[in-house]
Amino acid sequence: MKRVLEVIRAGSWLGWQVEANWADPFLFFVYSVVKPLATTLILFLMVRVVSQGHATAEAFVFLFLGNTFFLYVSEVLIGISWAVFRDREDYETLKYIYTAPLHLLPYLLGRGMTKMATATLGVIVAFLFGRFVLGLPIGAVGTPWGLLVLATALGLISVAGLGIGLAGTSLVVARHSINLNEGLTGLFYLLSGAIFPIEMLPGWAQSISLALPFTYWLELIRRLVTGRTFAAPLERYSNGELWLILIAATAMISVAAWVWFRGCEYRARAGGLIDVKTNY
Amino acid sequence: MIRGGDLAERLRVNLGAVSARARVRIVASYRERSWIVGETIFPFLTMSAFVLAYRGLKAPPVYEAFVVLGGAMIAYWNNVLWSMASQFFWEKEQGQLQLYLITPVSRMSILLGMALGGIAMTTSRAAVILAGGALLFHIHFPVDRVLPAFGLFLLTLAAVYSLGMILSSLFLMWGREAWYTATLFQEPIHLLSGFYFPVRALGTAVGSFAALLPVTLGLDGIRQIFYGPAAHGLVPLVWIPPIQVGLLSLFLYLAHRSLATMENLGKREGRLTLRGG
Repeated sequence: MKRVLEVIRAGSWLGWQVEANWADPFLFFVYSVVKPLATTLILFLMVRVVSQGHATAEAFVFLFLGNTFFLYVSEVLIGISWAVFRDREDYETLKYIYTAPLHLLPYLLGRGMTKMATATLGVIVAFLFGRFVLGLPIGAVGTPWGLLVLATALGLISVAGLGIGLAGTSLVVARHSINLNEGLTGLFYLLSGAIFPIEMLPGWAQSISLALPFTYWLELIRRLVTGRTFAAPLERYSNGELWLILIAATAMISVAAWVWFRGCEYRARAGGLIDVKTNY
Repeated sequence: MIRGGDLAERLRVNLGAVSARARVRIVASYRERSWIVGETIFPFLTMSAFVLAYRGLKAPPVYEAFVVLGGAMIAYWNNVLWSMASQFFWEKEQGQLQLYLITPVSRMSILLGMALGGIAMTTSRAAVILAGGALLFHIHFPVDRVLPAFGLFLLTLAAVYSLGMILSSLFLMWGREAWYTATLFQEPIHLLSGFYFPVRALGTAVGSFAALLPVTLGLDGIRQIFYGPAAHGLVPLVWIPPIQVGLLSLFLYLAHRSLATMENLGKREGRLTLRGG
């Protein structure tokens, strides 16, 4: 376990150097927060323009919280799997990982930590922007900040699990399959109800949505921040039940991702794909 | 002075480079089945999220058509950013950029090949978004206006990919900041170009600034062709094709100059290859 933690720490440090050491901290900060701020503004204007006055303030809070916390999914999910392509094809270092006394999985988790840090920065800035610039009724006195941090951390574990699963897939597919990873993010964006209530989905899609941990995660976060329920199909669940579902789903995803990753890793090694180059 | 035979030979070599660079992308795209899924079905799902969000916000149905058309156009803009503007950066990271530089062909021929290949790659994505929008969300595209819309679309693509050539020359100089810079050109441009709603809603000043981007003008024009006044157009439709032609000519000229300048600068500053340490 100590060795695994050391590898995660080394992977995090390397990830941080790769991500950030080309710029001074302020410039890097600016680059890191532009995306979440731009998406917040897109949603803000979208609600104002598109709804033509029909949308309530609550509707925007719903969109805002879903979109802001979904940043973790898009950044971490893509970040972990992208590290495989970068190391395999750009830096050509993936093969050397195998000659070092470490396992690839904790190393990739470490690489993902950097994305978690930059995503956290983006979420915090977007949250503050929403609270103080857009004047949203979020973060009021009585908000259970400790529970919010805990829920976020739990969601992150499940995102990291899926990221590891995708990293496994990345080991056996070509570089431009990064679209697959971005596409899966789009799929989760649709099915987890990040920007619209899941009751708007057709029945079959709602069933899939209710099997995703992100659906419960976003609902729990919305409840913790605002104190009220949002998704109608989840109204019957108490906060405690949402916690239990989220914990169980996270555990299942983590185990499944580990098994999938190991299978893909074996296939990549057997197929001579560890140092393949596919930049067309 | 270039003799006729030399000119013909140069033309042949450059057309060969265009064809070869485009072919790599087209063949690669369809050889990878995972790409087809990732590039077509999943982006459609993201666009679907916005259509459903619009329904949740009780937006007029024409806005759903706007977001579908915007979703198709986003695919091309993202292709310009990630597979054209930043492509030289990726090539540099892989140590292949110098191979381009030693070939006796114009950099613009290579970029044109990338553009044509990229358009072929991206068209499947855009087509699935449009077809999915029409079939699953019953978005109405007036069939009798498809031809003029397609003409403006082609003109828009030419101008957008010419802009991509200019960006490519800038990215030639950049290192790892290229990744973040491409991100910087992504979401903010999605906002400014009116991908999700008519750009006129941003106000005249911001809208006019945004209209300097050919993708904004093209999308504005295509929506006007399809939906007339309901499109809340920014620029009168008759002005858009000549402006696009003007932008295309300007961007091609600037790209040619910029590529030569940046390449020379890159050589002097040693930025065309990776540095150790």
